[in-house]
Amino acid sequence: MQKTTLPAVVSTFVVSFAFWVLLTWSFTAQELIVGALISLAVALFSARFFIHEKAFWLCNPAKFFSGLFYWVCIFPVELVKANVDMAKRCFGGCKNINPGIVKVPVDLKSDYGQAALANSITLTPGTITMETTEEDGQNYFYIHWIDVTAPSGKEAGDAIKGTLEKGLRRVWE
Amino acid sequence: MIVRIIADVLIAIGAIFALAGTIGILKMPDTFSRMQASTCVPTLGMLGAMLGALLIAIFVKADAGAAVKIAVIGLMILVTNPLGSHAIAKGAYKAGVRPEKKMETDDLGRDLYD
Repeated sequence: MQKTTLPAVVSTFVVSFAFWVLLTWSFTAQELIVGALISLAVALFSARFFIHEKAFWLCNPAKFFSGLFYWVCIFPVELVKANVDMAKRCFGGCKNINPGIVKVPVDLKSDYGQAALANSITLTPGTITMETTEEDGQNYFYIHWIDVTAPSGKEAGDAIKGTLEKGLRRVWE
Repeated sequence: MIVRIIADVLIAIGAIFALAGTIGILKMPDTFSRMQASTCVPTLGMLGAMLGALLIAIFVKADAGAAVKIAVIGLMILVTNPLGSHAIAKGAYKAGVRPEKKMETDDLGRDLYD
């Protein structure tokens, strides 16, 4: 079990309090004080589950802007492409599919990077991450793919997540 | 006026993708393919509707609180949806759900479960 550290508590508190302010959207003193107290309690209890590595990595401007670029430019483009492809298959009577589960190698090392990549893959219609494993220091994802065009390995990995992984590597490596 | 038209077009696009996802859920042949099709609904279906609603809230109604709440709802759906998808897909596979037609490749079954 991870120990509760001060940077972890501070960053969890900031996130919780920002969400409180966004959801209530009122700036009277009582609401802000109650929100701060509840955020502090939440941060004290949950910081050790929430933060596993450096707490303030987003304060590095290069990482912040490459992260922003990923979630504003790279990921939405992939999302729209995959959505149009999936909608075509659905309106075409759902006959044009070739499902299978492939195993692809992943080069990201950090926990957050892998979680972000797995969630991006799952959000893209046509691919769902089902399981992750580690063998001999190399991480693998098992991915259910609606239209298998390449056997397991590097080639399938590039087809599924080549662009996404390149964008995420700039944020977390 | 222009903003209103753009917002309506965005909502219509969202509705079209939600319809595609629904058709997929009803007509796909096996569990995992149905889950794949259903991903259309919370991504572009939801995003189109939310962007349209956001434009209306900002420019037509001029209501900052509503706009922020819409943005937070969209963000929360995008963050939480993949967690449920992972859990359902893995749980279904562990519980022994397999497609009737044999899959093209099935590395998960080969390596871990069968």
